[in-house]
Amino acid sequence: MAANLLSVINVAAYYRQQVGTSIKTIKAVDGVDLYLYEKEILGIVGESGSGKSTLANVILMNIKKPLEFVKGSVRIYTGNGFLDLNSMSVEELRTKVWGKEIALIPQSAMNALMPTLKIKRIILDVIRSHQDRINEKEVVEKAAKRFRELGLPEKAIDMYPFELSGGMRQRAVIAVATLLNPRILIADEPSSALDVVSQRMVLKTFYDLLRKNIIKSVIFISHDIATVRQIATDMCVMYAGKIVERGSTDELIRKPLHPYTEGLIGSIPSVEPGIRERKLKYIPGQPPDLSNPPTGCRFHPRCPYTMKLCKVKEPPMVNVGNKRLVACWLHVKR
Amino acid sequence: MISRAFIRYVLTKLSFLVVTYLVSITIVFLLPRLIPGNPLAQLLTQLFQQAQTNPETIKEVYKTLMAQFNLNKPLWEQYLDFLARAIQGDLGTSIAYYPRKVIDLIMPAIPWTLALLVPATLTAWFLGNNLGAIAGYKRNSLFEKLVLTTSLVISQIPYYWLAMVLLYVFSVKFGIFPSGGGYSYGLVPSLSLTFIVDFLWHYTLPFLSIVLVSIGGWAIGMRLLVIYELESDYMVFSESLGIKESKLFNYAFRNSLLPQITGLALSLGGALGGQLITETVFNYPGTGYVLFRGLSTLDYPMIQGVFIIIVATLFLANFLVDLIYALIDPRIRLGYVQT
Amino acid sequence: MKLVIYLLITNKRFIIGISIFLLIVLIGLIGPLLYPVDPLSFAGPMEVAPCRRYPLGTDTYGRDLLAQTLVGTRTSLYIGFLTALVAISIGTIIGTLAGTKGGIIDEILMSITNVVLAIPGILLAILIASYIKVRSVEVIALLLGITSWPWYARAIRAQLMSLREREFVYLSKMAGYRDIELAFKDLLPNIATYTFMAFVLYINGGILSEAGLSIIGVGPTKGISLGLILQWASLMEAVRRGLWWWFIPPGAIITVVTSSLMIVSVAMDEIFNPKLRGR
Repeated sequence: MAANLLSVINVAAYYRQQVGTSIKTIKAVDGVDLYLYEKEILGIVGESGSGKSTLANVILMNIKKPLEFVKGSVRIYTGNGFLDLNSMSVEELRTKVWGKEIALIPQSAMNALMPTLKIKRIILDVIRSHQDRINEKEVVEKAAKRFRELGLPEKAIDMYPFELSGGMRQRAVIAVATLLNPRILIADEPSSALDVVSQRMVLKTFYDLLRKNIIKSVIFISHDIATVRQIATDMCVMYAGKIVERGSTDELIRKPLHPYTEGLIGSIPSVEPGIRERKLKYIPGQPPDLSNPPTGCRFHPRCPYTMKLCKVKEPPMVNVGNKRLVACWLHVKR
Repeated sequence: MISRAFIRYVLTKLSFLVVTYLVSITIVFLLPRLIPGNPLAQLLTQLFQQAQTNPETIKEVYKTLMAQFNLNKPLWEQYLDFLARAIQGDLGTSIAYYPRKVIDLIMPAIPWTLALLVPATLTAWFLGNNLGAIAGYKRNSLFEKLVLTTSLVISQIPYYWLAMVLLYVFSVKFGIFPSGGGYSYGLVPSLSLTFIVDFLWHYTLPFLSIVLVSIGGWAIGMRLLVIYELESDYMVFSESLGIKESKLFNYAFRNSLLPQITGLALSLGGALGGQLITETVFNYPGTGYVLFRGLSTLDYPMIQGVFIIIVATLFLANFLVDLIYALIDPRIRLGYVQT
Repeated sequence: MKLVIYLLITNKRFIIGISIFLLIVLIGLIGPLLYPVDPLSFAGPMEVAPCRRYPLGTDTYGRDLLAQTLVGTRTSLYIGFLTALVAISIGTIIGTLAGTKGGIIDEILMSITNVVLAIPGILLAILIASYIKVRSVEVIALLLGITSWPWYARAIRAQLMSLREREFVYLSKMAGYRDIELAFKDLLPNIATYTFMAFVLYINGGILSEAGLSIIGVGPTKGISLGLILQWASLMEAVRRGLWWWFIPPGAIITVVTSSLMIVSVAMDEIFNPKLRGR
């Protein structure tokens, strides 16, 4: 049984915006449970606006206004014990957690490196912020070695970010983010802005990091289920601020339980025989307004199998065996 | 290290400067000839009236003026003459101080102006940027609100009015500082300690009037830049890697400084204008004072001369600043083209 | 639109700034009517300090300074407003032409703009003003407007160009909207807020520049403005002779007006630019 790395329990985070006379509350993440184990690549899939990027920030506890952390707990398991991130101050998070235990690769990571600094400088600054005294030469050598391991040219370290191509920049960002060997790597849409070849290389980089045990697990966030399924071992489906289904990738694709998952998978053109037989579906309607989500199950307005109960009460997350979790009244035994 | 793009940048800036300078000279040339009412003729009339008092000098002045303005030659010849002379440094002969040449009257004043302009602008730039950066970093703090409000108000105080107030308070009322001039009567400019101390004593109030007002402008701008910087992708990423706060501030500061350097070049023009007027309040022997004397006597060669020289100095300063910027920003130095 | 007005009204800075400004405008407009003393005629003893009879004292010619300051405020505001009008008009025309037509027209206009921008406006204004024998208030405003339009023209052009590129314009074009419809529906609202802010800044510039021109001797040759009062004060060595009531009020009013408008401009910047809202 692989060790537990991350426990996110009943976490909620809302955006509060002042619009006109009232304050609008957008419930971006509303009661999410998430568990991450070692040697897992967990894909979090959802439409735009489902709250997945917010979830990434919440896991990191990088909460900035207008986002507010409302409730829940985020716990990570380190080499010697655990840390409750929701009760740590920003200073503590900076020194003990960010970059060291968890690293986040943001969306449009190509702009994530300071254009006016050589990559070497950024590397040195990251290391310096976590260790008191460093030997510059050693650090640069180690970084060069790491770059080589990940298939990046060593001389990239001595260059400015704009001198690298888009794909290489993305991988350089990944290399910089994982310098301190964080146990958890969260990647937010890491390959969406890249061409197919660069995408492959980015995915390969993740594999390499895992194989060489530089990081223990990856959380891969994307709206593109086709890419996620290529790399993820397990998948989580997110809708309207909640997780609606979780399971191993194979099982989820073969036999989706939640109607939304079914719709997502059905909407991918695929050449695989089992899937091709199902007709190409699409999900009618639009994602809900998170400041005023639907009552009961949030998916009910678009669900082809809605029942009366769905409009009234929210379905609980149930375990249907073999680490398969789903939140749908269809699968709750009466 | 020096790429082709860098050279291209430098050449572009240089050629722009030359063109603008030529345009300025052309404007100076055309103005007296274009303005309705023919100021030139009026000038000559004025001179004739003065001629009643001193016919000899006036005849000379008239001859010089005619030679300079070449009113008998076709326009384009006049223009080329003018251009040729301007490039050689001959800006004509002053009328009020005939027969002294304009350039000889202006040149001694320039070091005084620069001595005031450069340190004052740099001090204000330095202090203002720091205040603004801290204000931008510490948003919604008392410090930020204080800095912003104070800067907003004092940046709008006219330099010369602040000069008057300072003069009144510190010189007339409290007698701490002298009431004007660049140095005490009877002293001769030299590098002796007595002179330098005396100079600094006279220098303080003009310096303060310029610095105090300018700080506000820089602080406001820097605050804005830092606020934008802090939201950029790379700042967010760097923070999520756990980089220390002081380092983050350092990043934001550095990146915001680049546009401020460009701003320095742009602001020199305005600062100079304001300073010239401030100099007149203090009777400070700089170019502003020369301009003032020229304006009160409508000594056109003098006025034009000041204009041309100031414009030339300004352009040179701008070019230097642009050069420094090109050397500092790696994107220009290495020929970065935005993809 | 209603949202914008609401945001403006609830912003503390905006309210404070605009109130102060409107107060001064009121003083300038009504003041001379309520205090109908002729600012230019002999009113009493010379160089008297403020007292009940002469609230702001008198100058060297025995003229009532309160009367002068009131009329001066009105004139300076007028000049500021006119300058803004001229500068915005020229800037909008040139900027719009350059931004929407592009190509060679853009290149020519931008070259002109850049050159004028590089030459220090106030120096150019001083130079030109020195050649004009009779300078009315309107002429001064025209002059100041002509020498200060470039930065606004450039900004307008930049905004138009960036808006042109944005997707919603392409989509509108594809949906068949004609150019003019495009301009009004999509582009104008974005430009409008910027123009308004620039207008405010130009009023400031106009008032300050006019004062500068006046002090150095090339201000309006008719009428009274705050700058002219300062000029008379400095010609009569008011500072060195301690006649504080002569030069302090005009400069103070200039400062109050310009800083209140600055506060308004910063407030508007915060409102129209969501990134700056101090959450």
